[in-house]
Amino acid sequence: MTTTLAGGRAARRQTMRRIRPRRSPAVPLLLAVWAGAAAVLWLWWRDTPSIADDGGRILNAGRITGLLAGYLMALVVLQMARVPALERRVGSDRVARWHAMSGRYTLCLVLAHVFLIMWGYALQAGRSLGDIVAQTVDSVEQLPDMGKAAIGTGLFLLIGLISVGGIRRRLPYDTWYHVHLLTYAAVFLTFWHQISTGNDFAVEPVARTFWYALYGSVTALVLWYRVLTPVRLNLRHRMRVEAVVEETPGIVSVLIGGRRLHRMGAEAGQFFRWRFLAPGMRFSSHPYSLSAAPRPDMLRITVKAIGDHSARLRELTPGTKVWAEGPYGALTAQRRSRGKVLLVAGGVGITPMRALFETLPGAAGDITLLYRADTTQDLALWDELAAIAEARGARLMYAVNSPQGERPDISVENLRRKIPDIDRHDVFMCGPPGFAQSVFEALRGAGVPARRIHHESFEM
Amino acid sequence: MRKSHPVRRVVLATAATVSGVVLLLTLKPASDPASAAAGAPPPSAAGQQEPQGGAGAPAAGTVTGDAVRTQYGPVQVRITVSGGKITKAEAVQAPKGGTSDQKTALAIPRLNQAAVATGSARIDTVSGATYTSEGYLKSLQSALDRMPKGGSAPSASRVLTGKVARTQYGPVQVRITVSGGKITKAEAVQAPKGGTSDQKTALAVPRLNQAAVATGSARIDTVSGATYTSEGYLKSLQSALDQAGG
Repeated sequence: MTTTLAGGRAARRQTMRRIRPRRSPAVPLLLAVWAGAAAVLWLWWRDTPSIADDGGRILNAGRITGLLAGYLMALVVLQMARVPALERRVGSDRVARWHAMSGRYTLCLVLAHVFLIMWGYALQAGRSLGDIVAQTVDSVEQLPDMGKAAIGTGLFLLIGLISVGGIRRRLPYDTWYHVHLLTYAAVFLTFWHQISTGNDFAVEPVARTFWYALYGSVTALVLWYRVLTPVRLNLRHRMRVEAVVEETPGIVSVLIGGRRLHRMGAEAGQFFRWRFLAPGMRFSSHPYSLSAAPRPDMLRITVKAIGDHSARLRELTPGTKVWAEGPYGALTAQRRSRGKVLLVAGGVGITPMRALFETLPGAAGDITLLYRADTTQDLALWDELAAIAEARGARLMYAVNSPQGERPDISVENLRRKIPDIDRHDVFMCGPPGFAQSVFEALRGAGVPARRIHHESFEM
Repeated sequence: MRKSHPVRRVVLATAATVSGVVLLLTLKPASDPASAAAGAPPPSAAGQQEPQGGAGAPAAGTVTGDAVRTQYGPVQVRITVSGGKITKAEAVQAPKGGTSDQKTALAIPRLNQAAVATGSARIDTVSGATYTSEGYLKSLQSALDRMPKGGSAPSASRVLTGKVARTQYGPVQVRITVSGGKITKAEAVQAPKGGTSDQKTALAVPRLNQAAVATGSARIDTVSGATYTSEGYLKSLQSALDQAGG
């Protein structure tokens, strides 16, 4: 702070007054999740007075895993309900990772539940573990709602299978996504046997009411935020493609016009899921960040042509209707806790950084942007960045490979040399995973605490 | 962004889940927690082991009840009736093996005594051996049902069977014995069976029987956790009471 230019102090105070970092609600949410799990276990504990033998133990292990699976399944769906508190405060990327992790865990619990319960029933019926298949067939035929549950479990297996890394990479994204949507059907099908055969719900009306409330509220949230909210948003704003601009070879900007776009509440650093209603693109939506602060009549995204979908963006014709869902993402000014900010962009990761560079409040010298690309030709949006830097008195640095192709050295020493007070900065970062990881380590080495490094990554 | 360690995460999640489940299971007592409050079973109980199975030919006037399945094995009661009274009760089958031996030794003698003393199946279950007791009571009830009528009941008594009440889980039908304007006995001749219904029937029907005798009416609270069965029971009971003319 001692290096502040004369006259900057008052301006900084002005800025600081607006900086109120909002804590991510992740910790209270996780606590609530654990409390719910504890309540579910307590339900089992209360309803099970005693366990006599190994058969009882196996059966009860099956009940515990079943109860937990039923509970977590509701949460796994909830994580993808696009609830604003999760998408904008916790961060879409983090929630997506939670979803993937808890989804895998829940699938394992479901399988353990099926195996243990059928084993336990077989023992109770005087059969052995070898008869588990016969027991399963009997149970599915005889017990209420078990046919539905069996179909649902089959769907879960299919969905789990196509999400295995190797298989998922070979599938087109759209195929994977649409099969993944079957999760809703699977959850619906498996719900009923929980109520009708679940020991704790069949006997205990209060527990049953809570279970209905849990699944009912998740359903309501999904309908509200995944269906009604986007419909309302798009009816209200009626977005269309205005123009497509080639920024550098392989990177295009799409300008999207619409009505009263500032009313969508999008902030710099956020993204929308875009669906362009053009032939061949209608059925898939993709997340792209806003590459400029939203204007009342115009939004802009900037996209690198890496996949099928992004390559087709170039051929969009003006007037194409656009269906957008959002805004999502937590990499916004709300994360900021300090007056000074370093923005780090790797490649096309410049898009949210460009919007933040323009809009983050700050006096001259407060904002620094470090832009990494392969060559100077790949520095998309450079002219704009230079203009913003000039207008705001912000610092703009780039790092590109040497003519011999050597990678630039973003090390602790270099960072400290270029930005001596780096440990007093908030850092916002967006770029490919390897780059982000190495920069993160360099920043930590240079004394920036992890809680002040704000990063968004959609790698699972 | 901390480094992710997928393998470590899988191992941790598996270990935590398995050990959590195992811990919960081992913390559960092998018998009903009420037995802990009642203290250890009296050591003399082991000495009172009932001769089971291959006992000699039954004396005249014996009635054998149904074999009732419990979680730990079947229970079957045989009673000796003389002059309309139970003079002897014994278990021809009772759970064996593991902790069941102890519980059988604890519960059966007491239940035998109580059956002779009360002459009915309105006996408290032996704490620490709830399942066995409930099985015993059911089997005893079925034996009582087979007892020659007239010998056991006073001449003025009438047996009235209510209408069948259909519930979601199966039909319920109640039979009451009315004597001197009072219900002296209530029993379910039909009740839901199969799946979890067995448990619920075992839970609700004895309580409802007791309550019907105690109140002499169908103004009984339903047994929570077995609402449908209870409601069916009350309907059928009411129809039986209607036949009794009051």
